[in-house]
Amino acid sequence: MKQTLLVKHAVGGRMFIDSDKQAVPYSVVQHGEGWKFTVSIPWSGAIEELLACKNELNVFIFQEFDDQPTLKTWYYVKDGSVEYDSDQASLTIIADSRIEYYPHLYSS
Amino acid sequence: MIKVFPAASRYSADLGWLRSHPSFSFGEYYDPNRTGFSVMRVCNDDYLAPGRGFGAHPHSDMEIVSIVLNGQIRHEDNLGNSVVSSFGEVQRMSAGSGVIHTEFNASAEEELRLLQLWFMPKERGVTPSYEASRFDTGKLHNALLPVVSDESSEQVAWIGQNMTIYLSKLEQGKQLSYAPGSKDRKLFLYIIEGQLGAHGETLAAGDTAHIEQVSDLELTAAEQAFFMLIDLP
Repeated sequence: MKQTLLVKHAVGGRMFIDSDKQAVPYSVVQHGEGWKFTVSIPWSGAIEELLACKNELNVFIFQEFDDQPTLKTWYYVKDGSVEYDSDQASLTIIADSRIEYYPHLYSS
Repeated sequence: MIKVFPAASRYSADLGWLRSHPSFSFGEYYDPNRTGFSVMRVCNDDYLAPGRGFGAHPHSDMEIVSIVLNGQIRHEDNLGNSVVSSFGEVQRMSAGSGVIHTEFNASAEEELRLLQLWFMPKERGVTPSYEASRFDTGKLHNALLPVVSDESSEQVAWIGQNMTIYLSKLEQGKQLSYAPGSKDRKLFLYIIEGQLGAHGETLAAGDTAHIEQVSDLELTAAEQAFFMLIDLP
């Protein structure tokens, strides 16, 4: 199974983080009723833009399998709970809720 | 005060199956000076090839309006809605805490042209909702017809923002005037077809105008004009 973390701008889809293109260690754990992402990533212009757009983020985990359809999980970041720790080179994102969906189940 | 953005100054994208003319930054097109107007964030004039469209994707905390100009759009979402709309119909989605949806050209033969409009909501985190409404296209004639508003009615879709979207088809030489509730309101004008005079400027198809501090807006059709006027906070 291949798992990819994506963080995109919700208005039009500008990509800020794509773990498929940039090796970024990350974890996602239950945090209260939501989820907490911790991403080890160096400071960059993309992170600066991400923080500027922290109220308009789409956060995804894509899980691609050999023997079953891709599962996409989208996380809702309601109040811009997004912080960057320069000392740790670590980005934290708190998501309030999530929706899992299989794209192939929607008609095309 | 009126600021005109000519169609020729707009970014355009041609992906083969999609020709898009965004008035504001969208996707890979990013201009920090053109990210929106008032609560309006997106105004895309899109042409979709038959059978093609946007696969399943999420939205949140955005009021999204699709106005079909030609052809048919099929919307499907995780709320259980599956709706086909054509000219004379409007789709409104309040994305709130999150919705997954698709949008496709429902026709196998005809191109789809639609206006995709996104607005920041008055309130974040609301329960997602969707609505398709139908307006009387005959009432567009020489009048400003409200089609989406926070003051909704049978033929006016509701929206979670203090705003109203009007459509109009104005005959050559005819005039309309619009008085926003106060001079603090902002007006967004988009010419779909034809030529329209507004506040001393002449706008052609694809042109947009941002209008502020106006108590009475005079609109005159230099030639038969089909246009959209949005009254914003």
